[in-house]
Amino acid sequence: MDYRNAFAISAAGMNVERLRVEIAALNLANANTVADADGAVFQPLRVVARAGTALPADRGAFNALVSRGLAGPSAIVESVTRPARQVLEPGHPLADAKGFVRYAAVDPTTEMLSLMSATRAYEANVAAMNAARTMAMKALDIGGTS
Amino acid sequence: MTTGFLPPVGALAPLVEPQVAGLATSGADEVGPIGRSSGVAFAELVSGGLQRVSEQLQANQIDLQRLAAGDVENLHQVMLRMEETRLSFQLMLQVRNRLLESYQEVMRMQV
Repeated sequence: MDYRNAFAISAAGMNVERLRVEIAALNLANANTVADADGAVFQPLRVVARAGTALPADRGAFNALVSRGLAGPSAIVESVTRPARQVLEPGHPLADAKGFVRYAAVDPTTEMLSLMSATRAYEANVAAMNAARTMAMKALDIGGTS
Repeated sequence: MTTGFLPPVGALAPLVEPQVAGLATSGADEVGPIGRSSGVAFAELVSGGLQRVSEQLQANQIDLQRLAAGDVENLHQVMLRMEETRLSFQLMLQVRNRLLESYQEVMRMQV
């Protein structure tokens, strides 16, 4: 089933983009968290997506890879170590000796850009899947109006 | 005029070995002895295809029920499976159409 290959590849791409959106949303939700008394602060997360295994030129081997889910991209989540944001708030209950409160180092601009690019990439994957489906439906029209 | 490049016309090997096993559908019975040899393969194809499509439809129903109950772990996976089922169903429909057309073509032949 050739169209299943195209669907599986698009599904893998859509999974990666959805993960990117989830991680950006998580970072944005934790943007204004403060450091605990023991100094642990939320570290922003980042999605690192890798292309699939080296793709063979042979069609049969490529199909086998796709059916095992190894041809599409794979993504891992890792945390970014960045120094916390220091804000001067002397009256804050969690302020340190100098009156600074340490907030999580989340950059809202970067997260919003990640959201937008992930949305567009998701739509592109949906367009690719729709194209594959249209081609399969047209193939079923062969010999139709005879 | 030379015909050296054309292969000589000889007896064609039968495409499907004639089988005496029982037939699953009555449609193959009406086609006649020539149809009987390939009718068994077609009947198995059709019933096997129907079985696979019905299994896919049932899996889809389960997915849709879970979606309606709010247990959504992968929305686009559910939609993709629905599209695959729809394509399989359309394929089965077209196979049935072609088979019917060939059958009617054969029946239209003068006796």
